[in-house]
Amino acid sequence: MNESFLEIRGLKKSFGSGEAKQEVLRGMDFTVKKGEFCVLLGPSGSGKSTLLNIIGGIDTPDSGYVSIGGDRLEDMSEKQLTLYRRKHLGYVFQMYNLIPNLNVKENIEVGAYLSDDPLDVEEVITTLGLQDHKYKYPNQLSGGQQQRVSIGRAVVKNPDILMCDEPTGALDYKTSKEILALIEDCNSKYGSTVIMVTHNEAIRYMADHVIKLRDGVVRHNDINEVKTPASELDW
Amino acid sequence: MRNPLIRRIPRELASDWHKYLVIIVFMVLMIGLVSGMYVGHDSMLASIEKGKEELKLEDGSFELSQKASPELLADISTGKMADVRQYFLDKGMEEADAEVSEAIDKELDEQVRTAIEEGVRAQCEAYGITDEDMILAQIDEAVDENYESAIKEARESDEFISASEEAYKKAHDAVTEAVDDEWDEISEEYGLDDGKFKPVRVSVYEDFYRDESEDADSDGTQDATIRVFRSDTLIDQASFNEGRAPKTGSEIAIDRMHADNLGIRMGDAITVGGKEFTVVGLLSYVHYLTLHESNTDLMFDAFGFDVGMVTPEAFDLLRARIHYNYAFVYENEPADKIEQADTSENFLKALITQTLVYDNEIKSYLPEYLRQASNFAPSDIEGDSSATSILCYILIAVIAFIFAITISNTIDKESSVIGTLRASGYSKRELAVHYMSMPVVVTLIGAVIGNALGYTAFRGVAVSLYYESYSLPACHLVWSPTALVKTTVIPLVLMFFINLFVIVRKLQLSPLQFLRHDLSKTRHSRARRIPAWSFLGRFRLRIMFQNMPNYVVLIFGVIFIELMMCFAFGLPDSLDHYGSRAPEMIFADYQYMLMGYKDSDGDVIETSESSAERFSAKTLLYPKETGSLRSGMGSGSDESVTVYGISPDSSYVDMPAGLPEKNVYLSSAFIEKFGLAPGDTITLHEEYENKTYEFTVYGTIDYEGGIAAFMDRDSFNTVFDRKPDEFSGYFSQNEITDIDEQDIAAVITADDISKVTSQLDHSLGGIINVMKYVLIVLAAALIYLLAKIIIERNERSISMVKILGFKNTEIGSLYIIPTAIVVVVCAIAGFAAGYFLMIEVFKVFMLQMDGYFAYYMSPASMILSVVYLLLGYLVVSVVDYIRIRRIPLNEALGNVE
Repeated sequence: MNESFLEIRGLKKSFGSGEAKQEVLRGMDFTVKKGEFCVLLGPSGSGKSTLLNIIGGIDTPDSGYVSIGGDRLEDMSEKQLTLYRRKHLGYVFQMYNLIPNLNVKENIEVGAYLSDDPLDVEEVITTLGLQDHKYKYPNQLSGGQQQRVSIGRAVVKNPDILMCDEPTGALDYKTSKEILALIEDCNSKYGSTVIMVTHNEAIRYMADHVIKLRDGVVRHNDINEVKTPASELDW
Repeated sequence: MRNPLIRRIPRELASDWHKYLVIIVFMVLMIGLVSGMYVGHDSMLASIEKGKEELKLEDGSFELSQKASPELLADISTGKMADVRQYFLDKGMEEADAEVSEAIDKELDEQVRTAIEEGVRAQCEAYGITDEDMILAQIDEAVDENYESAIKEARESDEFISASEEAYKKAHDAVTEAVDDEWDEISEEYGLDDGKFKPVRVSVYEDFYRDESEDADSDGTQDATIRVFRSDTLIDQASFNEGRAPKTGSEIAIDRMHADNLGIRMGDAITVGGKEFTVVGLLSYVHYLTLHESNTDLMFDAFGFDVGMVTPEAFDLLRARIHYNYAFVYENEPADKIEQADTSENFLKALITQTLVYDNEIKSYLPEYLRQASNFAPSDIEGDSSATSILCYILIAVIAFIFAITISNTIDKESSVIGTLRASGYSKRELAVHYMSMPVVVTLIGAVIGNALGYTAFRGVAVSLYYESYSLPACHLVWSPTALVKTTVIPLVLMFFINLFVIVRKLQLSPLQFLRHDLSKTRHSRARRIPAWSFLGRFRLRIMFQNMPNYVVLIFGVIFIELMMCFAFGLPDSLDHYGSRAPEMIFADYQYMLMGYKDSDGDVIETSESSAERFSAKTLLYPKETGSLRSGMGSGSDESVTVYGISPDSSYVDMPAGLPEKNVYLSSAFIEKFGLAPGDTITLHEEYENKTYEFTVYGTIDYEGGIAAFMDRDSFNTVFDRKPDEFSGYFSQNEITDIDEQDIAAVITADDISKVTSQLDHSLGGIINVMKYVLIVLAAALIYLLAKIIIERNERSISMVKILGFKNTEIGSLYIIPTAIVVVVCAIAGFAAGYFLMIEVFKVFMLQMDGYFAYYMSPASMILSVVYLLLGYLVVSVVDYIRIRRIPLNEALGNVE
């Protein structure tokens, strides 16, 4: 956990033009080490989701670069970017975005299909506590259960980086803690680097690395010497 | 690992089974129908082709005015042109020699007699004899004594020899000059000397027939004209669908289709030419696959015309005149169509010259490739299948668009899932393949079931449809590779590419755009301004704008259906209209065409029938484009025009007097078919001679029964070089009974006009009615699918307005009325487009055919063709309304999934 895996330098991004131009990222620099649990923290409009999207290769910066394992995203073609996401990333969104006419197991298999070295689907289902629901369809599950499936779909790929965009944003307190614990487990069990976007200050305590954003710049870039397990978080 | 997304396909099929069922049934029917048409068509054509070989189909035929001598037939077989010039020279020389010799003999006789008389009178005068009687007696005596020797002496004199030689020479020179002139004219007329002629060796066969009256139920009235052939003919033979060839003088085999139409069965007795025969066979003659009585008939007539086979003995006992018809077969089959035409032309040259030198006359000549009776059916069968397949492709394209729109809506609906999958690394290709699977799978299901039905049930339908219309031989199932390609590959390709185009375009958006539901490629910089209507009105307008792509497909579909409706309603209407006007389309209840205006004794043919009125008529040709819609239909040659010479103050043809010279009135059918107008000049030409006649169109005579031109009888006789009292036949209100049948070439009655429509009605009536109802169902199915898409797309909004407190009826009116407006407007516009298009299509089609009838649609049909479609829509609206009522309130509040 001492090598810099993800490197972000001079990242700028704005939307609109002329008077309506809005600078979302105004020069951002930081690095994340392999296997780190990194939280991007900030209020609405601080640019955290935009940053996550750029790291995920689904959005592009106006200037600056993102380098993952030495490969710079700006040099990649669309096809290479797709391949990059396919091989290295797992995505978890606030809305679970599950496929309605595939059951739990199949939704997770959708992720496994993309990977050359996927985890065992059954094992992931067990890890996520979904063994009793694996043949259920998304509309038969609660929000928390659906988010577990969504995490399963991302984790089963055995990704280098697990990208989580407000994964607990639509969930209640208890379920949120369960989901955070799951992500924590995946991080420790499978060794994936986790980059989680949240506006929930409490979550910072469970991270190795906390980057606090405001108005498109990094306000704080802190390493937690002592982490609090997700189950002990309180907000 | 298999892509888990595949599992969505069967679930999608199961969850939306009613939609896919409609689509699959639709495709199965279309593909099945086309497959059946092709399999039926290939099987039928294979049997026809086989028949051509086995039953020795001619390469052409000609009819002569009298039976050909064996020498003439032998010379025709060589395919060489006769030396017409030498023939004329020989004939001229012979005649000239006879004339010169006669003149010389006469002159010599006179001179010798005068010399003897003068000698005797001189002697008498010397002897003083003055009694004239005595002198005459002396002269007679001297003539008796000296005439022979004097003649002999005169003939031997140098003077005589040189004078007669000179006379013969002069006569011969005159003959040569006359023949040369005539030969130049003839050779130019027929192109005999154009250097392109190549002899065409043929085998010639007798195929004599008689056109007898047929009384199918022995009630004493004629039911049809039957063309009777001998059973021992070596060419143009028949296959038997049932029974066998006649063996005794009282047996006959007749056409299967005709028997079917008139309800004649095996073993029935029918009266032919006044003689009773037992039907022992139902046959199909290889050269009468359709019962075209004449090659220029607009339509065949399996009711009023029949072909039959009797034994040679029975043939000899029949009374109607024998048509000396000869069929020929080329020794070297022409390789292609162009060569076919050249060969036929060369053979015709040989035929013309040979018949001329044998003092015979060609009554008709018809190469097989222009023969309607053997080409109409195969060509129609082929045309039917291509028309059906084009229809099928249009419908499959419509379905493909419906699919594309459905998928496009699904993509919109699943945009966050797609965004997530794309963000997770799914490629556009993988997603495109996934969304393409459903239409391809559904098309494959449709193609497999459709083809299975095509080879079984629908093939029977197609074959029996052909049997309903044509006198076809029995047919056996043939595997059709074309059917497989046209019903599987082409629909798949259509479905694949139309969907690929829409889906790939749709998937061009970035993952982020999908995640944000930011799905429109072009962003309106300003909101569309809409008129200041009521809130609901504006709401409806917004719905229309939102669903524009769906409406475009709906508009296309509705217009297409209206086009088909115009065909389905218009064709029977046009036939009915033409049929109902048949009595008006004939000048007289009876029109007698005579063989000549004098009978065999040289007396002018008269009748005691008081209503009879003489007329003259002649058939000429009007040039027309032969670039064809369907080759083989129509006589393939120029339009046949009947030119009438009408008696002054005719009580049958209302033709104003005072028609200037070289002017003609044209029938309204002629005017309409070729878009002519008074003042235009038309050039008509003879069929077998190179004579042309130019006329100015003076006016129109309201006559839709045929392509005809009218002038007064005197001008007619002058223009066509006829004798002043010559005529071609009689118009009459009543049947004429006092003209010998041998002198009558044809009798035309109202039945002859309506036979066209009754035949078409019989052939097409059933299928057209079925088509009408299929179209209504089709229209309803199309509207159902599209309306369903519109409502599905708006489910969340509908749910939202329900939450806001709108009543179901209000919501129904919001979502159903815009579609209703579009459907009604399109139905009316589509009908108008269809109606005018059909008028043009009919004209183009009629140009190909001989004769004319115009497209007609009754006002009731016009209304019905729109109302039926709207009825279909009404049913769909009810279903839609139920669907709207069932949309749950939580739809708007639920998750995106």
